[in-house]
Amino acid sequence: MKILIIEDEKPLSDSIVEYLTTEGHLCEAVYNYEGAIEKIELYEYDCAIVDINLPDGSGLEIIKKIKADLISLGIIIISGRNSLENRIEGLEIGADHYLTKPFHLAELNAHLKSINRRINFSGHNEIIVNEIKVLPEEHRAFVKETELKLTKKEYDLLLFFISNKNRVITKISLAEYLWGDFMDTADSFDFIYTHIKNLRKKLLNLGCADYIQTVYGVGYKFDLTIG
Amino acid sequence: MKLLTKTTLNFLSVTLFIFLFGIVAFYFLLREQVDQNINFELEKRKQSILTELNAVGPATNLPPNPNERVVIHMLTDDEKSPDIVYADTLIFDHAQKKYIPFRKLGFTATYNKQKAYIQIFKSLEESDLLIIRIFLILTLLVIVLILSLLLMNRITLKQSWKIFYDTIKKIGHYDVNNHEQFVLQSSDIKEFEDLNRVIQTMTNRINADYINLKEYTENASHEIQNPLAIINSKLELLLQSSDLGEHNYKAVVDAYEASNRLSRLNKTLILLAKIENRQFPESRDVNLKEIINNQFELLEDLLDSKKIRIENNIQTNFTVNMSPYLAEILFMNLIKNAIRHNIKSGQIIIQQSENTIKISNTGPESNLSSEDLFKRFHKSSESSESLGLGLSIVNKICEVYQFEIGYNYEQMHNFTIKFKQ
Repeated sequence: MKILIIEDEKPLSDSIVEYLTTEGHLCEAVYNYEGAIEKIELYEYDCAIVDINLPDGSGLEIIKKIKADLISLGIIIISGRNSLENRIEGLEIGADHYLTKPFHLAELNAHLKSINRRINFSGHNEIIVNEIKVLPEEHRAFVKETELKLTKKEYDLLLFFISNKNRVITKISLAEYLWGDFMDTADSFDFIYTHIKNLRKKLLNLGCADYIQTVYGVGYKFDLTIG
Repeated sequence: MKLLTKTTLNFLSVTLFIFLFGIVAFYFLLREQVDQNINFELEKRKQSILTELNAVGPATNLPPNPNERVVIHMLTDDEKSPDIVYADTLIFDHAQKKYIPFRKLGFTATYNKQKAYIQIFKSLEESDLLIIRIFLILTLLVIVLILSLLLMNRITLKQSWKIFYDTIKKIGHYDVNNHEQFVLQSSDIKEFEDLNRVIQTMTNRINADYINLKEYTENASHEIQNPLAIINSKLELLLQSSDLGEHNYKAVVDAYEASNRLSRLNKTLILLAKIENRQFPESRDVNLKEIINNQFELLEDLLDSKKIRIENNIQTNFTVNMSPYLAEILFMNLIKNAIRHNIKSGQIIIQQSENTIKISNTGPESNLSSEDLFKRFHKSSESSESLGLGLSIVNKICEVYQFEIGYNYEQMHNFTIKFKQ
């Protein structure tokens, strides 16, 4: 995917570029409103990551411009302001997701993957990693053509793992992805463990390789090099 | 003691003191004056008697006067003539059957070549009556004067102090969080006007400082989000690299966890500031049963892990006018609290009576002080992972909407919220 990153904090922008580049995306970063408008007019992108507070303008204006020009691209807002109004306004003018800073790169990546699926396959697609196949629009998953009976949380977990395959995924980012902000992380770690244990058992039962690896003290890794 | 009472008492004691002494002194002065007058009259009478005695003849010719008696006592030659003397005396009056005060003048005169001791008695009854009347009238006058002065003073002071008491009351209810304008009544008394002006200046300054501080914290919290995002993303990237030694890896993990905790803390503080500043969507009628059931659904994992049974006895049509967003946060925190401090296989019961909702949990008995409970960063010792901000968010929301929140322990830990009607 070709991604435009509009974020005035250069170090943060660099982190996003680094993370997404290793995922095989093509990233371009601009640090202000002017630059963003210029890039959007000149080039085509699949997705834009937009910070709302830019030194010379508002990210919301950029999104409005994109939508006015009928450019079809996925939009993820990243903002330091976590107010409901901002969130609603952002989503109303056509953003796909609204992430509050500080966010987890793995979470950003998972959202990008779902936008990618929506844009490039119009939803009719299947994700295949080794012996696992997921049909996102139907919320179904298969191992070697046998359907996995998953709960909603387990399904979300599997999708999040696949989106961030071969990477260290922290427990905290998992917790926030699955339960949002409201759950205290310490509480949710226990449930993550339970849900992961169940998911792993179900995968193993259908003869799948043991991809879910525990990274001691940090979290997990969906390691496709195993097996 | 009220100032008014004190001044009244002082006023009364001084006036009574002066009044008592004055009245006594007045009485004696008056007495003195009257006596002098009578002496003068007696002297005049003496002269007239002397003239009459020498001119007219026998004393019996003297014209009778009920208030006056003249006693002539003939003296023998060897009797010594008494000195001329004024004196007070009592004489029994047979008609009135009582002693009547008289003033007498005794003197010697020569009558028919014989020495006679003449005493003139003049009744003091009338003059005494006069003194008493004057005395009574004056006393009455003074008392009326004192009373009316007192009354007028009280009324004036009460009027003036009204403003003072109003000011006191307003300062007593002063709340920096209250967004209403702090206005004091103006007074025609300079002192009170000065007081009000000083207080007004002071509260204005407090308000300005408070708003400054709040803006500063809010801005700081928002500005912290960016660096935090950078730290988090860099640490996340570091965690992906395989060439960190075990030692460094542990350090990165610790830093990552700490920065995440800081993020949560910061987000919560921003939320608290937002509630304080009333920056949340508009109020509407919120169905609480629905809201609470939604929270139970969201917290399903938490409930299941402790095998907690729930009971939601709120009427299906019970609504409260508030921001739905804040209603969610309110009950999310209360229910989370009820789960966290519950025992395994415990119970959460939510009951409603009129406009009060009671959330009870079967947590182990402990001595919680309901005052500390709602303070920021208050933590019970057992679960140190929580930020200790949940209940202070609850408290803040209740404060904004003027709901009454309470806590007590009766076999269960009960949190009650009394909603405003």
